[in-house]
Amino acid sequence: MTNLWRRHRWWLTPTLLIMPAAILFAVVILASSVESLWISLHEWDGFGPMRWIGFDNYRELFNDPQFYVSLKNNVIWLVMFMLAPPLGLAIALLVNQKIRGMRFLKSLFFIPLVLASVAVGVVFSWVYTPQFGLLAIIFRFFGATAPAVLSDEHFVTFAVVTAALWPQTAFCMVLYLAGLNNLSEDLIGAGRVDGAKGWNMLRHIVLPQLTQVTFIAIAVTVVGALRSFDIISVMTSGGPFGSSSVLAYQMFEQSIFSYRFGYGAAIASILFVIMAVFIVWYLTRIIRAEERGA
Amino acid sequence: MTFKWIEQASTRRTFLKAAGGVSAAALTGFSMPALAQSAEVTVIAAESNANALEVLRRIGADFEKQSGTKVVINNMDHEAHKTAIRNYLVAGAPDVCFWFSGNRMKAFVNRGLFDDISDLFAKEKYKDVLGATTGAVTVDGKQYGLPTGGTMWGMFYRKDVFAEHDLTVPATWDEFLAYGQKSKAAGLTPVAIGTKELWPAAGWFDQMNLRINGLDKHFALMNGEMAYTDATLKPVFDYWEELIKQGFFTPDHTSFGWQEAGAFLAQKKAGMMNLGAFVKYTFPEQDVEQLTFAPFPKIEGIDRYEEFSVNSVHIPANAKNKAGAREFLAFFYQPENLSAYLEPGGNVPPRSDLPASKDPLVNAAVESLKTVAGTSQYYDRDTDPDMAQAGLTGFQEFMAKPERRDAILQRLEGTRRRIFKI
Repeated sequence: MTNLWRRHRWWLTPTLLIMPAAILFAVVILASSVESLWISLHEWDGFGPMRWIGFDNYRELFNDPQFYVSLKNNVIWLVMFMLAPPLGLAIALLVNQKIRGMRFLKSLFFIPLVLASVAVGVVFSWVYTPQFGLLAIIFRFFGATAPAVLSDEHFVTFAVVTAALWPQTAFCMVLYLAGLNNLSEDLIGAGRVDGAKGWNMLRHIVLPQLTQVTFIAIAVTVVGALRSFDIISVMTSGGPFGSSSVLAYQMFEQSIFSYRFGYGAAIASILFVIMAVFIVWYLTRIIRAEERGA
Repeated sequence: MTFKWIEQASTRRTFLKAAGGVSAAALTGFSMPALAQSAEVTVIAAESNANALEVLRRIGADFEKQSGTKVVINNMDHEAHKTAIRNYLVAGAPDVCFWFSGNRMKAFVNRGLFDDISDLFAKEKYKDVLGATTGAVTVDGKQYGLPTGGTMWGMFYRKDVFAEHDLTVPATWDEFLAYGQKSKAAGLTPVAIGTKELWPAAGWFDQMNLRINGLDKHFALMNGEMAYTDATLKPVFDYWEELIKQGFFTPDHTSFGWQEAGAFLAQKKAGMMNLGAFVKYTFPEQDVEQLTFAPFPKIEGIDRYEEFSVNSVHIPANAKNKAGAREFLAFFYQPENLSAYLEPGGNVPPRSDLPASKDPLVNAAVESLKTVAGTSQYYDRDTDPDMAQAGLTGFQEFMAKPERRDAILQRLEGTRRRIFKI
């Protein structure tokens, strides 16, 4: 027995150690993804019998104007969220200087990260409230009337993304602050000897060392943009009339409120395909980086 | 740094053993209540009013004392319960659960998830005291639940605001338009509405359709038998558009929930509001006595129909202790228990033999209901849930962008055809 264990230990130990994670991943992620795909080919209300309808859900989805509104909003989220890494970097560079009181400033910028995104959503919807909100008060100070941004189908998504950008920027700032602490003093010193300062120092010496951090910041931001849901639910419930909905929210709405799990699963599958494109890019980057490292 | 592997191993082993023991206990623990099932009734409630919940718990304790059957009351968040019920009715049903009558109940009855309690109705002679309300819990001549409390919808207003600005309660359409002009001149929004949660816009549609086309046509639409593009609906949207164009409603209403809109009424910034008596929760306590209501103004010369949504309590088909559940319901439904439960929430009692409420709004609603020719429940309770979701969004869009009427109605008609398979 001990002999058998000793002979197979080299592969049994890692297998046993990986097993819990692998089983969890298989059940929670893989199996449910496959089941979602399977459900998306049916008409199903969530508890009755499932009825096979082939690709009808997808056919209907591609004729659904709401789907394109949600998709467009997902794109707006993605593009606007890309502001978070550069903004985070800028703030990180600003607060990374050794000036008295910077610690306090740093913690101020850090605050939104501590708040639950639901709380951020509620606070911002108060800011946007017509007539009484902070925005309305600021506009009134300049003698203007603030637009009711959450009631306007063209502004609403931008208003919601702005709210979500606040904690996201703080998150990127923290990532960059960590990265700035790990800069090689030697390289900076060498650069200084060669006469680099200001913009040149940043562009050619600091930024190249932050590539890995930037990569992580972008990856986290993309994922954050695609899975945006809670803040939309709190601020607008996808409204007015669906104009701030995104795919994740539309999926939830169709499944839970309209009792259309098949249709919801079809939306989820499309979202999965979009995510998959990004995940493939992310994985190839990581694998390539690891190969270079090894 | 050195690691003492041997010592570590023993502690890890004890940890693993302990963890294993805990999870095993948890697994067996789940099946333990099975022993106590025969003498237990589990209830799932979704009561957001703390006082009403307290009364419900007291009724449960009283029943326990009287019958020896243990009553377990689990209260859920009101909104979360709406989605959770679909899981627990199938997967792990309680013996009694609270829900809504009408179409929302029917959705579960059709899937065989609610128990037929016609026997309880016959035994306790509920039909004699419930009268027409029995219809709200009846499907194909059988009863599937007990109506608990109802919400009567109407135009709520503050007596002091109406007196201050010399406004009169509009009874007809022309009076309503005149009221609008007068209240606007007084600096009030004629009608407070918040459509962020969508449903208030659908309620407004219901009121107008009931006044213009009557109950039968309204139900034809709710049951998917009438097209949304039907010519009979045209005047409804014409009248509605007239109000929108004249600025009757709260500006930017899609930014406000019903509670914020209710605050406009409470703060004397708006004249009237279409809601149930629960609008009083947005009022400071000392102002509640100023609150009263009138029926929606008459438009066409037809009988008066009102919206009256009735909550209900049911026995799931998968309940384990159905006999105990019936006993508990019969106890809960005794006049003194039922009225005590309804009192804090200000709901209209379904039984005709309950004592008069201390809440004048409830008594006014009871009186008003006696003069009504028929009732609907509410748009999202009367029609298919999928249709309701599309309709609610459509009506909100119409209120914000009335010029899109045709596109909205076309879209709703497409949804109706898909859902009712036409």
